[in-house]
Amino acid sequence: MTKRIQIVSGALLAVVLSVGLYFLNARWIAPATVRNVKAAGNHPLAPDFTLTDINGAKLALSDYKGKVVLLDFWATWCGPCRIEIPWFVQMQQKYRDQGFAVIGVAMQDTANSVNQFYQQFRLNYPVAMGDDKLAATYGGIFGLPTSFVIGRDGRIYAQHSGTTSADVFRAEIEQLLAEKPGAEDSGFTPAGQTEEIDVGTPGEANSEVPGIDITKLSAAELTTFEKQLADTPCTCGCKLTLLRCRREDSACGVSRKLAREALKQFEDAKAKGTPSASSSAKT
Amino acid sequence: MTVALRGFLVVQALLTATVVLAAPQSPTVVSGHLVLEMDGAHAGSTVKAAVVAQVAPGYHINAHVPSLDYLIPTELKLEPVPPLALGPVVYPKGKPEKFAFLDQPISVYEGRLLVIAPLKVAASAEAGVYTLKGVLNYQACNDHACLPPASLPLSLAVKVVPNSESLKRVNSDVFTGIKPN
Repeated sequence: MTKRIQIVSGALLAVVLSVGLYFLNARWIAPATVRNVKAAGNHPLAPDFTLTDINGAKLALSDYKGKVVLLDFWATWCGPCRIEIPWFVQMQQKYRDQGFAVIGVAMQDTANSVNQFYQQFRLNYPVAMGDDKLAATYGGIFGLPTSFVIGRDGRIYAQHSGTTSADVFRAEIEQLLAEKPGAEDSGFTPAGQTEEIDVGTPGEANSEVPGIDITKLSAAELTTFEKQLADTPCTCGCKLTLLRCRREDSACGVSRKLAREALKQFEDAKAKGTPSASSSAKT
Repeated sequence: MTVALRGFLVVQALLTATVVLAAPQSPTVVSGHLVLEMDGAHAGSTVKAAVVAQVAPGYHINAHVPSLDYLIPTELKLEPVPPLALGPVVYPKGKPEKFAFLDQPISVYEGRLLVIAPLKVAASAEAGVYTLKGVLNYQACNDHACLPPASLPLSLAVKVVPNSESLKRVNSDVFTGIKPN
């Protein structure tokens, strides 16, 4: 009996401590260390893109304004992605007339494999080949499948990483289809577990240091900043420097976070006129 | 250690693991290196090299001969560096595993992985150190998501010594049970 009480007390203490640490982190630590993270309930605009689909037609997200869109990043070599595709074909069929569309973006794949798959599985929605740059505008795609549920107002309401139940997609799509345009933000409730939505800005996506907005740096400052990143090891396990990890693995969340922090420090130092940044500013 | 403390530590470890696993990042799924079975090699001999790799818990990589044609196989690619030539690579047999995303088991590698690569040293090889470079290509998934195809960079310095010099077996923990050349 005493032993059981001791175990329960220990477990309770651990839970209380963890909850306390969670709130401490959420309230004070995370806001101080992470930039650009959108709070839950904040629905950023889905970054626009223009691609050519595998049938040669223009595929621009902006052309879908006013529709609910399921944007699916996937690959033919990805088993968990393939299980979702027949659901998406059915959803496209079922909801198309209500203003719904699926867009597929194949990642790290070959056009030949995607074409074959497209024919074999009779996809009824457009599919285009994606790249790291597009992935970066969506905050980096860390694993496949990754799907974004976008409202009629062009905002992202849910992000799902990994296989997600068809019921979750259906519930979210039906919810967004039922909302009047502009009313999604107040009424939307994710049906399943959704990721924190942290899409990149155009400045971050089109950067020499992928994922990092360097537009406020002069050429000389950029050289100094890049040198700093080149002198700092990445801690993701890649054994590369931060600069190389950003350039060679732009989906790496660790190097992105560290490089963003480094940029913030660099810009702070520049604002204060401390030597590391200001010396390069004068050159 | 008291029972209460033990309970506290177990729950704390589980909660910490949950937080760490939930953190969004691109994980390094396969780590490893190349080792040689001897501390050097003689000209005209064949010596075994092995990739000793570890697949992170919770992940799997496809076997060299995958169960389905669309899966990306695990493959060792070593660049031949004269006087070293690569013999036929021996991959382990995949383990059939069932995952939520498929209705049939597929052949995968999980945990520790050993890939054997025989190195043939040319008879005309001069004594010296020759660095072999290559990659282990793989594509990893867990039960509900996949990571992009990736490569583990590999490098191994092979010391070719005169045939008059004796060689010692090394890395016996790796090569024990594997038939010598």
